[in-house]
Amino acid sequence: MVRRISLAHGEGGELTHQLIQHLFIQSFGHQDQTQFDSAILQGPFENIAVTTDSFVVNPIFFPGGDIGKLAVTGTINDLAVSGAIPEVLTAGFIIEEGFPLPDLKKVVHSMAAEAEHAGVKVVAGDTKVVEKGSVDGLFINTTGIGRITGEHQLKPETIREGDAVMISGTIGDHGVSIMSARQELGLLNEVQSDCASLNHMIHKLMQEVKGIRIMRDPTRGGLATTLVELCEEFHCTVEVDELAIPIRDAVHGACDILGFDPLYLANEGKLVLIVDRASQQQALNLLNKHPLGTEAKVIGQVTAQGNTAGKLHVRTPIGTTRRLHRLSGMLLPRIC
Amino acid sequence: MYQALKIIVTGRIQGVGFRPFIYSLAKKYSLRGTVQNNLGTVQIIAEGKQAALSEMVQELTFSHPPLAKIDELTTHQLAPSYYEDFTIIASEESGNALPWVSPDAAICVDCLEEFSNPENRRYLYPFINCTQCGPRYTITERLPYDRTHTTMKEFEMCGRCREEYDDPTSRRHHAQPICCAECGPALKLYHTAGDVISGDQGEITQVIDLIKQGKIVGIKGIGGYHLACDAFQEKVVARLRLKKRRPKRPLAIMVKSLAVARKFCHLSKQEEETLTGQTRPIVVLRKKAEGTLPDLLSPGLSTIGIMLPYTPLHYLLFENNELDCLVMTSANPSGFPIQYKDESLHDLADYVLTHDRKIHLPIDDSLVQWDGDRLLHLRNGRGLVPDPIKTNDQVDDIIALGGQQKNTFALGRQNHVIMSPHIGDLDNEEMIEHFESQLSHYRKWLGVEAAYAAVDKHPLYTTTSLAKNLTSHVIPVQHHHAHHVSCMEENGLGEPSLGIILDGTGYGDDGHLWGFEFLYGNADSFERLAHLHYSPLPGGEKAVKEPWRNAVGMLLNGCPEEGKKLSVELFPEKTKQIHIIEQMVKQQIHSPMAGSCGRLFDAVSAILGINHHSTYEGEPAITLSDYMNRRSTHSSNKIYTYSIHTGKPVMQIDFYSMIHEIVQDKLNNVPPSLIIEAFHNTIISCCIEMIQKLVKRRPDLNKNVVLSGGSFQNIYLTRHIQKRLHLEGFTVYTHNKVPCHDGGLSLGQLIIASRAVNK
Ligand SMILES: [Fe+3]
Ligand SMILES: [Mg+2]
Ligand SMILES: [Zn+2]
Ligand SMILES: [Zn+2]
Repeated sequence: MVRRISLAHGEGGELTHQLIQHLFIQSFGHQDQTQFDSAILQGPFENIAVTTDSFVVNPIFFPGGDIGKLAVTGTINDLAVSGAIPEVLTAGFIIEEGFPLPDLKKVVHSMAAEAEHAGVKVVAGDTKVVEKGSVDGLFINTTGIGRITGEHQLKPETIREGDAVMISGTIGDHGVSIMSARQELGLLNEVQSDCASLNHMIHKLMQEVKGIRIMRDPTRGGLATTLVELCEEFHCTVEVDELAIPIRDAVHGACDILGFDPLYLANEGKLVLIVDRASQQQALNLLNKHPLGTEAKVIGQVTAQGNTAGKLHVRTPIGTTRRLHRLSGMLLPRIC
Repeated sequence: MYQALKIIVTGRIQGVGFRPFIYSLAKKYSLRGTVQNNLGTVQIIAEGKQAALSEMVQELTFSHPPLAKIDELTTHQLAPSYYEDFTIIASEESGNALPWVSPDAAICVDCLEEFSNPENRRYLYPFINCTQCGPRYTITERLPYDRTHTTMKEFEMCGRCREEYDDPTSRRHHAQPICCAECGPALKLYHTAGDVISGDQGEITQVIDLIKQGKIVGIKGIGGYHLACDAFQEKVVARLRLKKRRPKRPLAIMVKSLAVARKFCHLSKQEEETLTGQTRPIVVLRKKAEGTLPDLLSPGLSTIGIMLPYTPLHYLLFENNELDCLVMTSANPSGFPIQYKDESLHDLADYVLTHDRKIHLPIDDSLVQWDGDRLLHLRNGRGLVPDPIKTNDQVDDIIALGGQQKNTFALGRQNHVIMSPHIGDLDNEEMIEHFESQLSHYRKWLGVEAAYAAVDKHPLYTTTSLAKNLTSHVIPVQHHHAHHVSCMEENGLGEPSLGIILDGTGYGDDGHLWGFEFLYGNADSFERLAHLHYSPLPGGEKAVKEPWRNAVGMLLNGCPEEGKKLSVELFPEKTKQIHIIEQMVKQQIHSPMAGSCGRLFDAVSAILGINHHSTYEGEPAITLSDYMNRRSTHSSNKIYTYSIHTGKPVMQIDFYSMIHEIVQDKLNNVPPSLIIEAFHNTIISCCIEMIQKLVKRRPDLNKNVVLSGGSFQNIYLTRHIQKRLHLEGFTVYTHNKVPCHDGGLSLGQLIIASRAVNK
């Protein structure tokens, strides 16, 4: 019989204590840091980066990962692309009454493994159990803290015409894997989520490559939405070459059937960066040597900079230029 | 009795030989006085015998030069001033009348005669023109229309041209593009790899040789470039299609003469007149069964678009009888705007025949088709634009931005609507730039502020975001309401009317896609009385490009179990995809709901195995309608089963049974032509029955019906719906000069916006 989470697991009594002691602390370790109501971090840091994110993915287990791994990589990546070295995470769990305990264990173990792999400690946590129907299975919130050292300063204000735009690998993998897992579409399940912590790769990149202007992880809204936001925020126009963007055949195939544009599908282990053209080759070599960047490509360049700039253009295979906007949430045909 | 009259004429009277015409009339009737041009108006003071005066006004009204167009003519009695003579006085550059510009006109009979006369000083000169012919719209930079305001300003007239220009009795008096070999533009031929080809042979002889050798030659014309090749050499035609990325869409051809056109096509009296008139559009003609035109020109279709030479340069190409039938297609790869600069041709043509008269404003060839006595404008361009439309509405300073595809825009100035030529599909930055530069040219030229901008309600149309940069007063208009009012306006209808709008897909007020609509209303408002039951478009836009998806969507929607079985039976090679589409439909993943006539044609075409994929917009519908127009007699009265749900206030048509029966017929090997005929007849019967039901339910409705929307390019459908409704006592209105497809949206949008503004 599968043991399930009951409301009592969240009442703060013995059951709560057992859950924390036997699952969370055992998995995440660091008992010395968890003796107080808050974890104490040891300094000194020049600058501290803090980020938080909530994860509500459905289904909780998907090809290439699960909600726990995602909760760790998502927050680590947010820190890493800001130029921070992730140090610690906190994790908050909101669990639906009746949630299978073995599943919770699987999730927590997967979080712990990913955190260890990324060299990040989970130092504080919280658990709430809510009545059946109040949440869908399991929600996780993670907060991440990282430090920023001198060499890790990004300088988006130095973006200029001719800078290279790069992506660390194939796009759309996570989006397709979730879709096929969720919708029981069948035949699409050969795609694995790319869910991964990018901090080590980014660290290497920042240490060795001069002229990295800005980095982002193109998660929700995909590469297109991420680049549109970059362009608007930093007043630059970027033109990417549709044919240069690495996309797996299986992702192409899925998009082909579903009528989606891979440029708008979520990624959970990809890095997009703008880098000085002079360092483009060095950055590419470095990425290609890293297991998470073997398929990294230069996909375009900054074509204008200044107040009138701020657009994302895609050069299509037939030579026309398409302007892309944010993911609109609406996929209505415009053909009459 | 000696009298004096002041005659004020407004309309297209500049640069069309209007003043010399008045001058000659004055001489003919022994009148004295003056004639003067203001911007957009001509003021005539004429004195003489009363009878002579009224005869002069008669002739002025009814026998004016062909390029002129009188919009309004008023006369006032004056006290005579006893002029000594009749004189043309200098133009005044002020005035607030609508600034009319003449469209470009094909070479006239008089010029053609000079052109063919070895004694004439303009013998075989490729740029010969006069006040009645030649470039106008495309060379005009600004108004008033004067040589210095055209791209001809770069050429200084020689003494002899100047003499003609200044002589009020010359037919080239004030012909702004006047020129001759001595002072005007010249031809240049070059290889796209770089070398200019000169030689004693002359450019034209060489071009003819190159075309005969199977080369593609870019030829600069009036409003842009053509890609020309020999229509009978399939290899080069195939290469041209590849370069243009236009696998199947028909290519226009230019034939030497009416006689050649007659050899290949059936020609009615009207078609002959249109082919040879001053507009010279491409005319869609029925190919003769015994004709020998290669199928590759209009694959699988019984029609082809033909035009006759319209510039002196074109005549030269056919001069020595070596060629008589050329592919003459606009020199832009599909998806790109019309090209009007030499550089843009390098990837497309092997050689370019160009000249140094600049094109200021590009324009496509016009495309028209005769349906019996009705002329349908399928694309308004060269020779037809601009042609201001008079309206009773207050449209000043309103701009309508049109739709996403086959875009045109429209501007309101005083009591006229000016529609742009065909712009194209606004899907990429190149097209958007083209749109914006055209719009800004029109605004400057007409002096129109963009106080209000009317756009389609579709949130993702390019025009929706462009409008925000123009004005803060954006007025969204429902797509099919715009179609409805466009047809009403063209026919001068103001009272609420019924409308059958058979269309592709347009954004509906309920967020679904509409396109098979029964509307009632006018520009103030409309009611949706009935429509086609919605079915899913699995994959959204993809479903439009791949009609088979649409068929599967309809089948699954009508009956999930059986629908899936039939889908797999119809499209066995898509079995894998059909499983996924089943889930998409069930779980509503990227499967917007649509009730559209265009999609219905797509589905039927896919079911019959005619078009699984669509290589150009509307291909399945065009192919099916071609089946109907191929045969002159229609044998069967068979119609398929459909039902009309009258339960709700908005009635719904359900075609699932028809789709099911069509699938059965297809699987039972019933000939496609019979299925297509019954399909057409079912739509027709259903429309008639629906209208009858609607007026029965609402006897107060006016018995006028307008037919609009892209599906009415289908001549059989239009003709029979019109005929049947007429028999039922309805007055039916169709489109003529304004396209029934999305090219006509801007007119409807503008009128609807003007009502909203002036409410
Ligand atoms: Fe439409
Ligand atoms: Mg995040
Ligand atoms: Zn002439
Ligand atoms: Zn001259």
